[in-house]
Amino acid sequence: MSNQKTEIQLINLTKKFGNIIAVQDVNLEIYHGEFFSLLGPSGCGKTTTLRMIAGLEEPTEGEIYLAGEDVTYKPAHLRNVNTVFQDYALFPHMTVAENIYFPLKMKKMKYSNARSMIEEALTLVNMTGFGKRYPQQLSGGQRQRIALARSLVNRPRALLLDEPLGALDFKLRIAMQKVLKDIQKNVDITFIYVTHDQTEAITMSDRICVMKDGVIHQIGTPDEIYNFPASPFVASFIGDMNFLEGQVIQKGEDTIFIDIEGKHILSSRLMGNFSLGDSVVTCVRPEKIGLDKVCRKEFQNKFENHFQASIHRIVFRGTDYEITLKFGQSEIRLIESASEFNDKKIGDQLFIGFRKEDVITFLKEYKKVYDYETNLDR
Amino acid sequence: MKLTLTGNLNTKPRGKPSFFSKTKIGIPIIIWLFLLIIIPICIMLVTSFYIKEGSVVVKKISLKNYLEFFINPIYLPIFFRTLLLALLVSLTSILLGYPLAYLVSRKVKRFRNQLYMLVIVPLWVSYLVRIVAWRTILGRVGVLNSILLSLKIIDEPLSIFIYSPFAVYVALIYIALPYVFISIFNSLEKIPQNLLDASADLGANSFNTFLHVILPLSMPGVISGFTLAFVIALGDYIIPQQLGGLNGLMFGNLIVTQFGYAFNWPLGAALGFIMFTVAVVILLISQKFGSSEGFLE
Repeated sequence: MSNQKTEIQLINLTKKFGNIIAVQDVNLEIYHGEFFSLLGPSGCGKTTTLRMIAGLEEPTEGEIYLAGEDVTYKPAHLRNVNTVFQDYALFPHMTVAENIYFPLKMKKMKYSNARSMIEEALTLVNMTGFGKRYPQQLSGGQRQRIALARSLVNRPRALLLDEPLGALDFKLRIAMQKVLKDIQKNVDITFIYVTHDQTEAITMSDRICVMKDGVIHQIGTPDEIYNFPASPFVASFIGDMNFLEGQVIQKGEDTIFIDIEGKHILSSRLMGNFSLGDSVVTCVRPEKIGLDKVCRKEFQNKFENHFQASIHRIVFRGTDYEITLKFGQSEIRLIESASEFNDKKIGDQLFIGFRKEDVITFLKEYKKVYDYETNLDR
Repeated sequence: MKLTLTGNLNTKPRGKPSFFSKTKIGIPIIIWLFLLIIIPICIMLVTSFYIKEGSVVVKKISLKNYLEFFINPIYLPIFFRTLLLALLVSLTSILLGYPLAYLVSRKVKRFRNQLYMLVIVPLWVSYLVRIVAWRTILGRVGVLNSILLSLKIIDEPLSIFIYSPFAVYVALIYIALPYVFISIFNSLEKIPQNLLDASADLGANSFNTFLHVILPLSMPGVISGFTLAFVIALGDYIIPQQLGGLNGLMFGNLIVTQFGYAFNWPLGAALGFIMFTVAVVILLISQKFGSSEGFLE
């Protein structure tokens, strides 16, 4: 994000397939040179949005601007954006070099002139020497690189990536994430990246747009999305989160007290306007929760909220333990590193504590937009 | 315990099934193939070297029948005319069948299946019935003449439509078209939508997408359609008999004559074997060109 020049702007973009609303009233501004992710569960409209930017899908309503030009109804082949498809979409009857030559040929460039550009594109994705092979002779990761080279050889204004790493195995995906990020830095092209993998979005993006059911829930940097989720859905979809339900019992300037199972929890990250007696959903990230056997003075000073709970479940995860504690009917999960675990057992009574800044509170009626399924996905 | 686990889990050598297990599945097919195809062809080949003296077939090996094909002025011209006609029929069938298949496969959304069925439906009607139907279209008092008469384009019915190579040509195309259509349609259906999306995305307009993506990827279907039409047209003798008249005679008719009227089976077998060889050569050539089949599995 060297400068804040707008590359792509979506205004009130809506797409309906029959009666189904795939994308609803999407407003977005994507800046030049940005790595921008569209993140959401499957069916959230992120791919449809991407296809509308590419020109492969015509919007029902709204406008699309590319570098200031209205391209809403411009056919795909005239738009200066290229797409990397999830299943690569390499032409099977062409060699790797011919595949990369294809967009240049469409620009009426002679093969002899395009040669150096093809070589350059192959070098960019670290696939020099593969020009004469056919796509069928390549592995998944290699095909993905060729698809990338083919989309970049034209130097588009923006590169649209539709879950490009979805078909690769875990290790290859991690490696390709680095490759993609490096390439993006090298070419100074806006990347719009569609994914359902929140880790991928957080590690790679400059900004993320979280979508669900065709609606944007939040746009922000990975840090903002993670630490200041705008809705319970965003809170549940990105990272791990504890959800607790309670009532507002006391209201301060920018803090509220919430009664959860008789415990009084202080929250200072308020997402909405609250009145006394409101039903609320309170979120705390597991890694923000501290654990102490005796509730020492330092512990009390560090955490405004601290109370006793009993260990209900312990899951060993390699480098750490996930401990679930129970108080009343509510459960709360936290992460304890293996070195500090010290033989804790189920049934142990311990003190948990967390700071008021780490308690994010939403109105309960907002709850309908998040579901626990997304928690199971991870 | 651990050591035993890392030991020989696969004691059976893999990847080399015994000859028996490899072939036993194929045995019924091999029997079928021998009984119905290979043995009859061998009998035909052997018979083609016998000669007919008077009214008896003498089992003496001779090249007389094959020489007859080259020497007798009847055979070669009709043979080449038949090849040319088969070529024209298959080319025309491709030219007519491709747009039709493209239309049904790519352009039509509603009534797509109905259109497909409409092209296929003639195959349910007996071949002979369909040929005779063409007589009512092309005949002197047929549909075509009636239309032209009522439009006052001609004053009296024309007899040029029927009993001519043209009639044979038209009817052969009619017979071959559904086969050509099916094979091109299937190859068009196999092309994934995302390749067309990618093509548009990379700057190709619909013409260039057709030229550089759809056409090359549908070539296997075109080639197999061409082969089918060619083989159908090459061996047909009913259509020339019913619609061809004297000038529309084809090589198949000459073979039928040897078997059915002249009772010269050795000569008929020799002529038949010549045509069989041509068909095999065409199939081999098209297989070589059609080897691109593996692009879209």
